[in-house]
Amino acid sequence: MSKKIVCFCHDITETDLINTIEAGYDHIEMLKRFTGVFMGPCQGKMCMQNVLKIFARETGQPIESLRVPTLRPPAEPIPLGSLATETLRGDDDKE
Amino acid sequence: MIKSNYDIVIIGGGVQGLALAYNLAKNKFGSIAVIEKSYIGSGASSRNGEMLRSAFASNEWIQFFDKSMQLWETLSAELDFNVMFTHCGYLVLASTSKEFELCRENVNTQHSFGLKTKLLNQRDVLKLIPALNPEMVSGGTLQSNGGFARHDAVVWAYAGAAKRLGVDIFPYTEVTGIQVEAGTVRSVKTSKSEISTSLVVNAAGGHAGDVAGMVGVSLPSQTYRLEMIVTEPLKPFLHPMLASLNTLSYMHQSTRGEFVGGAETETLPPAKSLKSTLVATQDMARKFTKLFPGLASARLMRQWGGIVDMTPDIAPVIGPVKKIEGFILDCGWVYGFVGAPAAGELLAQYIMTGKMPPEIQPFNVERFEKGEPIIDRSLVVPSETETEGGAA
Repeated sequence: MSKKIVCFCHDITETDLINTIEAGYDHIEMLKRFTGVFMGPCQGKMCMQNVLKIFARETGQPIESLRVPTLRPPAEPIPLGSLATETLRGDDDKE
Repeated sequence: MIKSNYDIVIIGGGVQGLALAYNLAKNKFGSIAVIEKSYIGSGASSRNGEMLRSAFASNEWIQFFDKSMQLWETLSAELDFNVMFTHCGYLVLASTSKEFELCRENVNTQHSFGLKTKLLNQRDVLKLIPALNPEMVSGGTLQSNGGFARHDAVVWAYAGAAKRLGVDIFPYTEVTGIQVEAGTVRSVKTSKSEISTSLVVNAAGGHAGDVAGMVGVSLPSQTYRLEMIVTEPLKPFLHPMLASLNTLSYMHQSTRGEFVGGAETETLPPAKSLKSTLVATQDMARKFTKLFPGLASARLMRQWGGIVDMTPDIAPVIGPVKKIEGFILDCGWVYGFVGAPAAGELLAQYIMTGKMPPEIQPFNVERFEKGEPIIDRSLVVPSETETEGGAA
């Protein structure tokens, strides 16, 4: 059993990914939903490249052909309090 | 791979289409194909709030959704897949005395259908969820058998069980047309081949309008985008599911500790895009920090969107259409996740016997032509048919 951790947020190993793909979760979005990769606090920033490499290798697809899961906002975690205002700081900067 | 003929073709490999396919196969209906444009569960089935309740306000909603809640109880065992149904309870929060009175009325209606809901006063609610802003708490309705389940797991559970019973599921296959002759369905054209069939079910979720358009049927619904957010994991502070009548929002804390919630902006324009909008981000941030002041320091990790096919009264449209023989609707779903087990079982019954089960009969599409929408005043989605006070 490989203990090579790929997703540092949720401790997903290379073996976890291989087993998941073998079980039929063979779309990158299904792999994400089954294992939780890309869904931790890093939102894929640490694990994306390695997950895609493993996924490409296991499914026999060229890595260039893979669709990267949509990168959702925010770019980095921000406190809800700073968004719960009438204007955002970016709006003030323009004035 | 795709056979040239099926007894029924279900368009849409989401929780609705798969639940129907499973129930038909369980009752030995015949040959069943499910056609899905992308991967299974790729639409609203894997983007919703995962919240489960039957504590609604109207007879029609309570009767149907409570049937579904009963099926949720044994769903993991039935499908041989852990859907992670958790009985953490579901609280509908009232923030004003008017909303509290509404909860009181609703509890009476719910009790007449045998639901074990409880009316909570301000003190009860704050004892249950001390992190709530007391100014936003007037009382609420607690359904202790409510809760949540993992939406992806439910999709996979239905798909796996349906496959074991012989259902053919074709992901990455797009329906491009439906052939109708003399008012009767003849075949379904897909991106891979043409399938002869006399029965087609439209379970295409946010794309239901496009599918209905293929046979010249115009649905009373439109496609809307609903958005949700998730924060970084936090210490446990919110045990039950929570829906706020005052802010039209719904939320829970995941088992990982993340705060997950969605809210409807006051004006919700029709949209098919899945992109996130800043209007929604700010709306949710304002509402959630108003309900839970402690969330101001919680970091937003991700925001996402999903599309739903929404009718003017927010209730689904289920059953046949007059003009086209063999074209059956299973669309208009906004509360389609909680409703899937009952919709799958009851619509399968209708297809097998030709008799419309009483729980889904009210959701016929003709109600809009007759001007008789179903009014439910416990929804946290703005309804066009509501006359006063939003969807409160």
